[in-house]
Amino acid sequence: MLDAPTQNLKPMVRLTGLGKTYGSVVALHDTDLSVPAGEFLTLLGPSGSGKTTMLNLIAGMISPSRGEIVINGRNVTALPAEQRGIGMVFQNYALMPHMTVFENIAFPLQIRKVSKEEIKRRVAEVLEIVQLPHVADRKPRELSGGQQQRVSIARCIVYKPDLILMDEPLGALDKKLREQMQLEIRRIHSELKITMLYVTHDQDEALNMSDRIMLMNGGRVEQLGTPHELYFEPRTQFAADFIGASTLIDATVAEVGEPALLRLPGGDSCRAFLHDRATAGTTGKLLLRPETLRLNQGNQAPPGHNLLQGKIASTLVTGGTSKHFVTLESGETIAIQELTNQNTARLQPGLSVAVSWPESAARFLRQ
Amino acid sequence: MEQRASGWRIMLNTAVALILLFLLAPSLITIAISFGGSDQITFPPKEFSLVLFRRFFTEEGWLSSTWLSFSIAIPSALLALLLGVPAAYALTRGKFPGRRLLGLFLLSPIMVPHVAIGLALYIYFNEIGLSHGQLRLIVAQSIATLPFVIVTASAGLRNIDPALERAATVMGASRLTVLRRVTLPLLLPSIVTAGLFAFLIAFDEIVISWFVARAGETTLPIKMFSSIQFDFSSILAAISTMLTALSVIICIVVASLQKEKSSA
Repeated sequence: MLDAPTQNLKPMVRLTGLGKTYGSVVALHDTDLSVPAGEFLTLLGPSGSGKTTMLNLIAGMISPSRGEIVINGRNVTALPAEQRGIGMVFQNYALMPHMTVFENIAFPLQIRKVSKEEIKRRVAEVLEIVQLPHVADRKPRELSGGQQQRVSIARCIVYKPDLILMDEPLGALDKKLREQMQLEIRRIHSELKITMLYVTHDQDEALNMSDRIMLMNGGRVEQLGTPHELYFEPRTQFAADFIGASTLIDATVAEVGEPALLRLPGGDSCRAFLHDRATAGTTGKLLLRPETLRLNQGNQAPPGHNLLQGKIASTLVTGGTSKHFVTLESGETIAIQELTNQNTARLQPGLSVAVSWPESAARFLRQ
Repeated sequence: MEQRASGWRIMLNTAVALILLFLLAPSLITIAISFGGSDQITFPPKEFSLVLFRRFFTEEGWLSSTWLSFSIAIPSALLALLLGVPAAYALTRGKFPGRRLLGLFLLSPIMVPHVAIGLALYIYFNEIGLSHGQLRLIVAQSIATLPFVIVTASAGLRNIDPALERAATVMGASRLTVLRRVTLPLLLPSIVTAGLFAFLIAFDEIVISWFVARAGETTLPIKMFSSIQFDFSSILAAISTMLTALSVIICIVVASLQKEKSSA
């Protein structure tokens, strides 16, 4: 896989042809990956996509069928988990119930034979970083879920591992707390500049937090890139569908050009820029993001815009924004997201409308 | 409708009370007799006296049998823990072929009649020339109590989240450190529970003991059983009362351990 922007940086993690097979089931196809020091990389994908397999391979919980794992210049492929010098944050926190918060955080330092005074100093320091300076003497069960996860992060950063793995760390928290903790983890990451590999199936979390996202599907890497690239330049239909809301419509290239002309079902057509190699006759899908579409009054498209005719099918007002579903003449339904305004109520089902979008906003994804 | 429901409820409660009474009556009657102070079995007792208890502590043989029972039950419970806890660890945490079969085999002393175990051990001990009376009883009782230790410790291990051990490993802890600092401390309530039950079972057991005990090695249950063959002495009621008290105390300790564990 091409990894141009990171080539000149020292990689903290390098995977070469890493793969895992159980019997005849391939849990992870051979994968190459290079993670520069200090990066926040998210492994994103549905369950069974191979993201947890990859995390467990790096952590040393399972051994790979093929390939090599190098962490901070050291080949750790054959090393047991306890000798890899990494940290891990678990979904269920995995704090020791029989130890106080202080003892939990001191535990990895005791293993490293750090002196008593040094342990005291460093535990106090990390509790300050996770903003829980007063809980040292409590047992984990006396803390809320969010606090427990902060303690488990503190337990990780206290011994300054080369790499911290996070396995859906916010999965057990409610939505509001989750958003707060996303910011918190981001802050800790930018303060300490520790390389982090973060596993989640939540696309919002991935988009909010990551330097780069590795989108996985069926044991393969679907796309690797910045959140911006994954959102605005998805390379596959899976990527387009998994990240962000989207409408996908069948499309065929009619004329190559800048922009190219695409033929849509029902005799409609539109213009879009091609990013993959395509010739006249290439089939695929047109990706439309709801927030790039507008409902138009007239039948005239602004310059550089596409315009399609349809009828309002339904409208969902979700507070500040509204979602309109418009059925095109071809029978396809597309979703349009607009800010809610006083006219929204007048858009009754059955009303004839035009939908427009800039030619640069839609993407053609070949089959 | 409501009337009928409450009618049923009264009947059900009465039935439950009667069943409990039926189960407890023998113990309760024995306890009452033990405080009667009479050498005859009289129920209800005519007076309150501790004379039967006093006789237990003064009459010859009873105390030495009691000490013998303790000196067998305690080492055999410890031996059963020493063998059973590692076995439970291997059976619940390990992944090796034949694991289930081995588990079944280790639990077999529950399924095989005690008479058969007693006879087998009698022959076996003679065969290998194990003639030390106390040692014979200790080994025999630890075999009989091993399954209970394995079952209790396995249940305790299954309640320990494997993620805790994994977390400790990733933090750099060796297997020994994980065992010492994480698994064993968390398993401690189960180990204590298993040990107490093993002690109680070993203290009380008679069938196997009868087979393997040598002349002169009379444990308390053996002494009680042989004394009743000649004449019934009300002193047995006093001993039963004390044994019941011991069991109840141990069960209370175990219950409070379980409660502490579930709140942890």
